[in-house]
Amino acid sequence: MRKIITAILLLLLASPAMAVDGNSLLLQVDRNLNPDSYESYKKLINIEPNGKEKEFILFTVKKGKDKVAALFISPASEKGRSTLRLGENMWLYIPNVGKPIRITSLQSVVGGVFNNSDILRLDYTSEYNVEKMEDTGGEYILHLKAKTKTVAYDKLKMWVHKEKLVPVRIECLTETSMLVKTIYYKNIKDFGDGIVRPAVIETDSPLYKGYKSVMIFAKIKARELDDEVFTMTFMPNLDSLR
Amino acid sequence: MKSIKFLTLILILVPLFAFAQDDYSFDMSEIEKEIEKKPYTLGGYLEVLPKIFALDHDAAFYKLNFYNRSEKDYLDEYNFKLSMNGGYSKGISEVYIRSNITKTESDINPKTDVDIDEGYLTINPSSMLNFSIGKKALKWGKGYAWNPVAFVGRSKNPDDPDLALEGYVMASADYIKSFSGPLQSISVTPVVIPVYEHVNGEFGEQNNINYGGKVYFLLYDTDIDFMFLTGNSKPVRFGADFSRNVTSNFEIHGEFAYIDNISRKTIDGSGNKTESIYDAQSYLFGIRYLTASDTTIIGEYYRNGTGYTGEEMEGFFGLVDNGYATYFSTGNDALLGKATTMAKGSYGRPNPMRDYLYLRISQKEPFDILYFTPSITSIYNINDGSFSLSPEIVYTGITNLELRMKAAFLEGPDNSEFGEKQNDYRIELQARYYFDASRLFE
Repeated sequence: MRKIITAILLLLLASPAMAVDGNSLLLQVDRNLNPDSYESYKKLINIEPNGKEKEFILFTVKKGKDKVAALFISPASEKGRSTLRLGENMWLYIPNVGKPIRITSLQSVVGGVFNNSDILRLDYTSEYNVEKMEDTGGEYILHLKAKTKTVAYDKLKMWVHKEKLVPVRIECLTETSMLVKTIYYKNIKDFGDGIVRPAVIETDSPLYKGYKSVMIFAKIKARELDDEVFTMTFMPNLDSLR
Repeated sequence: MKSIKFLTLILILVPLFAFAQDDYSFDMSEIEKEIEKKPYTLGGYLEVLPKIFALDHDAAFYKLNFYNRSEKDYLDEYNFKLSMNGGYSKGISEVYIRSNITKTESDINPKTDVDIDEGYLTINPSSMLNFSIGKKALKWGKGYAWNPVAFVGRSKNPDDPDLALEGYVMASADYIKSFSGPLQSISVTPVVIPVYEHVNGEFGEQNNINYGGKVYFLLYDTDIDFMFLTGNSKPVRFGADFSRNVTSNFEIHGEFAYIDNISRKTIDGSGNKTESIYDAQSYLFGIRYLTASDTTIIGEYYRNGTGYTGEEMEGFFGLVDNGYATYFSTGNDALLGKATTMAKGSYGRPNPMRDYLYLRISQKEPFDILYFTPSITSIYNINDGSFSLSPEIVYTGITNLELRMKAAFLEGPDNSEFGEKQNDYRIELQARYYFDASRLFE
């Protein structure tokens, strides 16, 4: 089924660029980045201007358009922490504190340039509409506008790899088009089961000059998950899914 | 004592050098090793916490604690803690234990404690259902500094609300169900708490089995809980709480608790005790706001329905003054003994009065200093105008090491809560090193 959808979309994209529906393209970008329901392991590295680094490893599960949860596996100081996102609702569970508290998408549970909405990223199609699409020959450029005011970045400018249909670079912008951060998708890798996507995501920001954050996908695979996994009550038990 | 101070310095400084260098690596095989799940976990932290207290000789709690000791202007205290937690899972079951070994070096109360804060077995037949039995800390409520609806847990210290608390021995379960639509999920948590001499003896009246429960709804993007506790160990109580993000950077929360027929003992300046029985209502309303410049503001108003009035607190402080004067004129400390007994109960608990405001302002990573968070916290007693003011800096830039420096200044007139505390101010430095010992068994 997945191959049929991809084939249809590729056929559509073979037509003149102006005929390509931007929102359909964005949906395909979402599906190429990850299956609809999946689990993944990723490493986050925050790099300071002096070269000092801090690393985190997360186990992440996602289901549908608006459900995603992550569990910190390391370092020891963060182990057992979990975060949950249901649409624009976000919670953080810290074992010592013993109960989930609400957090916001603009905060960062790990510090550095990635904020919570970057770490607990939903499908782009669930948060953005394509306002305009350009064809530069080698890449598509999608101009995305947030569907609601609660989305972390009001506008995105996304460069899409024309052959692989995955993002190459995304500029995150405010309503006044001020650049908040740039996200770079690198090292396209075959994770198996038809998942071919960038394994490395880097980000920098004019607001954090000299700082860089990197996210490395170690594993990603499709997985059926119960809706109940994505509830506040289940947050302390996320490790049982591993 | 000198060796203890030297050890403290070494324990604080050594990790700074030992963990300042990390390797930057994209080696997938290393990451895969790290993500491999083992059936057991073993970790925790080692903490060093030296404190200096500047004592207030005129304060009631100084007189109560120091009347029969040599006079001091300052008191230093050195706390060492090894907190360990471990788990073992097999199939749908998991055993978890969290324990602490704490050693306090101090002129007035040196001690060593070994405590098991939590130790329980959990059975997870599915993601919708789990059962637990054993000693477990359940924290109910949405308030940051106070939780009037925390019916089945211990009271947290508003001065350090994130501190892990000791649990109670209980049997509990969680049933979770998700839906599509405005009601996104519901969960039901029944709790049974036995209270006997050697089991939860401090929970309330002994030789009783207590029943409690909580129902949680995520409804229209709002967290809503209803809870209750019944049984003969404590007066029957009901409560509710809520929390909601009004915008992506603005959260509101609240709690309400109703306690039926609660008994409260007061004491006057002559040592006469009075007991009153009434229905108490406690509530809390709070906000959490994040500015564009990453400043987090937490504000709460707390009405403590079981607290003392200004007049009742003055009665207690009067008793201490009378007892202190009597002790120095006659050598008789009977009145101070009565005051000590009352201080061990409600008069000595954190924030024993009726109306409080809490304000915490923290700035994430100012001046582009990553992992550095300065904050200032104040607790204001509306009833007597006294307050505490606590500036704090936290640095977490070195992997697994958390450094915290905190001061707490207490201000208030005579016969006020913070004015009569033992200290004028306190300065403390906390170094906490987290470790994961699971790999030692490889």
